[in-house]
Amino acid sequence: MQKLLIITQTILLGIFLSVGAQAQAVKNPGVLVHAADDEATTLDPAQVEAGEGGETVILQVYDRLLEFGPSGPQLIPGLASTVPTIANGMISEDGMTYTFKIREGVVFHDGTDLTADDVKFSWDRIVEMDLPEGQAGVIADIVADTKVIDDYTFQVTLSGPSASFLNSTVVSMAASIVSQDAVMANGGVVAGEPNEYMAQNVAGTGPYKLKAWNRGENILLDINENYWGENAKLAARIEIGAEPDVRVLGLRAGNYDTIETDPSFVADIEGADGVTLHTGGLLLEPIHVGFNLNIPEGSLPKEDTIPTDFFHDPRIRQAFNYAFDYDAFLYGPLAGFGQFNPHYLPIGIFGHDADAPVYGAQDKAKAEALFREAGYWDKGFSVSVITEESNLFADAALVLKDSMEGLNPNFRINVLAVAEAVFDEAHAQNPIEYAMWVKNADPFADPHPYMSAYQHPDGEWGEVHGFANGYRNPEKVAELIDGASIELDVDKRAAMYSELQRLLFDDPMWLITAQEGVTMAYRSWVKGFQMNPLWPRPSLRFAYLDK
Amino acid sequence: MQIRDYIIRRLLVLPVLIIGTSIIVFALTRIGGSPIGIYLSHEMNPAEVQEMKERFHLDKPVPVQYFYWIKGVTQGDLGWSGVASAPVVDVFPKKFAATMELAIAAGIVAVSLGIALGTFAGARRNKLADHIIRVVSVSGASMPLFWFAILLLIIFWVWLGWFPIGRSDPNLFEAIPHPTGFYTIDALLAGNFAAFRDAVWHLIMPAVALGYGATAIIARMMRSSLIEELQEDYVDAAKAKGLAERVVLKKHARRNALIPTVTVIGLTFGFLLQGTVVAEIIFRWPGLGRWMASAVLRGDQATIMTYVMFTSILFLIVNLVVDIIYANLDRRVVLGE
Repeated sequence: MQKLLIITQTILLGIFLSVGAQAQAVKNPGVLVHAADDEATTLDPAQVEAGEGGETVILQVYDRLLEFGPSGPQLIPGLASTVPTIANGMISEDGMTYTFKIREGVVFHDGTDLTADDVKFSWDRIVEMDLPEGQAGVIADIVADTKVIDDYTFQVTLSGPSASFLNSTVVSMAASIVSQDAVMANGGVVAGEPNEYMAQNVAGTGPYKLKAWNRGENILLDINENYWGENAKLAARIEIGAEPDVRVLGLRAGNYDTIETDPSFVADIEGADGVTLHTGGLLLEPIHVGFNLNIPEGSLPKEDTIPTDFFHDPRIRQAFNYAFDYDAFLYGPLAGFGQFNPHYLPIGIFGHDADAPVYGAQDKAKAEALFREAGYWDKGFSVSVITEESNLFADAALVLKDSMEGLNPNFRINVLAVAEAVFDEAHAQNPIEYAMWVKNADPFADPHPYMSAYQHPDGEWGEVHGFANGYRNPEKVAELIDGASIELDVDKRAAMYSELQRLLFDDPMWLITAQEGVTMAYRSWVKGFQMNPLWPRPSLRFAYLDK
Repeated sequence: MQIRDYIIRRLLVLPVLIIGTSIIVFALTRIGGSPIGIYLSHEMNPAEVQEMKERFHLDKPVPVQYFYWIKGVTQGDLGWSGVASAPVVDVFPKKFAATMELAIAAGIVAVSLGIALGTFAGARRNKLADHIIRVVSVSGASMPLFWFAILLLIIFWVWLGWFPIGRSDPNLFEAIPHPTGFYTIDALLAGNFAAFRDAVWHLIMPAVALGYGATAIIARMMRSSLIEELQEDYVDAAKAKGLAERVVLKKHARRNALIPTVTVIGLTFGFLLQGTVVAEIIFRWPGLGRWMASAVLRGDQATIMTYVMFTSILFLIVNLVVDIIYANLDRRVVLGE
């Protein structure tokens, strides 16, 4: 028995000593180990979807003509040596022509030299391929013509004046510059068909080269020693597929340097030795509840009792906005990390008016008054809301259910939490066969894509949801959005967005539950930590980091 | 009927059974809805969705979809895995090898430890060692795998840093060719001892977690069989002959006690394969279980179809082999009548 005690004591002492010892040492020296949330589906800029895991890698291995700097929305030169402005003559007076001076001496990972031909080829390629999963529209919707002036000068003519071209097109991951030689030697360009080589390999100029992609395990990135700018300090390894709890444990143990997580894990990370929690700023993807004003007759789930024109009445949409328990969502699933933003410009985006009215507090009295006016308070209703299961969107749907059913027992919200694939299929319908759904917005760097996609009566969602059926003055909304998109005077443009935010408060087309706060955790030994929400998730450029 | 004729007849029927199974499985997966969702993103508009349907022939009626699928299978194309973002045919062998490697390693842990502990306890019935091993066995059989796995992970990965998670050090893994897909075997074939050590090092924690439950079952079976054997007359006779206690135990009693234990060992392999799903998720092991769990949750029908067809064909073949073995072992079995 005594022997057993001695052995046990020795083992315990060993455990404590080794725990103490490891707290000091930097693990995995020379390599940044990032634990990612999901796997990339493709590494081809012409195929990648906005916001998916492939963009994380494309940001590191490709360059664009311009880039967002380490903090905020200011643009810095990328493969273009200068940021075009009207003042420097690289934007024409009418705002239709942009000229880019291409950096000389830049070499692709395959050893070929970068010229303006590669730039034109890259932009034309995505438009010609026009893959449904890709982002061809980022270029095709705004660019009328691309032209090579000489080996190091590239010119773009727009289809109309645009105040957002540089901020939303040029910096997009889809507009990354690829090696023409590498593409043509490996499948070339075929309209409507993905390029298998490009989906799995990299032909860029970025600070990292792809070393290996072990699917479901990791992606290994080597430092590009011939990079035209400052070389990356650490090689990088993206670990794929660890469960959220395992990522947190791995970070605490020092096995991971940076992890992707969400506010629900903050309590597990706060105060941990050697771990820094970064909570500054907000993500640019407000979580919203969609109101469908274009419901096909007979398509709703049988439990739903609402008429198909239920959301045509602005009082109903306002009442939902007043009824939602914003605090329950912010201090529950978001753990306090988030804010409320006006319709529909996230905080941090140009044109956001801090003084614009915001739905950010539950007002049951106003909600009741509006439902009474609309004639639904006494007779009640039942409506279904579809969402993905087991995530923040499902949480938002449940808060909506509690809010509405707590407001009036005659109200019934059926939360249909389904698998992501099922939700995506339902969400991609036109018209959508559900009255309400929960998701987040796509992130943009300029106000126009938000307004165009989410508010314009003829925009992407305006058309699907039938906003023209519900706006009090759809022409006015359209006029302001269209006008702001081509207004090059910064102050006038900001004033137009300010007016829109006030207009849309009174005539909401969405219920915006919150703008989620940034919650990022990393080992304290990581130096030079920079995070910009305008970069694709997890909003890190590995080349800036050291340890 | 001669065995040869029987085998030929069964082999001729096999393709019919496989095609029949594939029709049933295909129809069942489609009853769950169209597989298109896995290929979509929430940004896509209806026109883009239609393009994706055309790309994967999902705009066609289900029988035509089946035709495209079976045509693809005959050309070695098992479809595109939305979860793995790669052709199923590229991913499946790697994942299968990873899972088999883990299950076999767990089996080795379970069998070696189970027999050793069972023998040790059985030979020391009602002594301290027996009590301790009984506690270990009961806890192994009753502890949920996910809980034990997380416990191991916290102690040996987070606190002590002795064992890694995942399957390999990527640099070592990349340094060798992978003809078999079994990292341990590939490392040996390449003569790369560092890679072999890395493979074993990564296997230890998930194999122990997975094998512990089976260890407990085997140890308990071994103990009780051994105790029974030790009470037999031939043991007394052996002792009376003057044989040493160790020789009686190892050469006589343990040998006989192994017979029922081996039956249990066979059954536990199925238990180990089933447990790989949990172990792979917790230890980030890139195997079939984790892949399949994601495929089911996300509706990745190409992957599910391949897995179900693979296990069905395996089952058909194993059944055939078992029938033949039975006929060989016991001539009273009449084939094909």
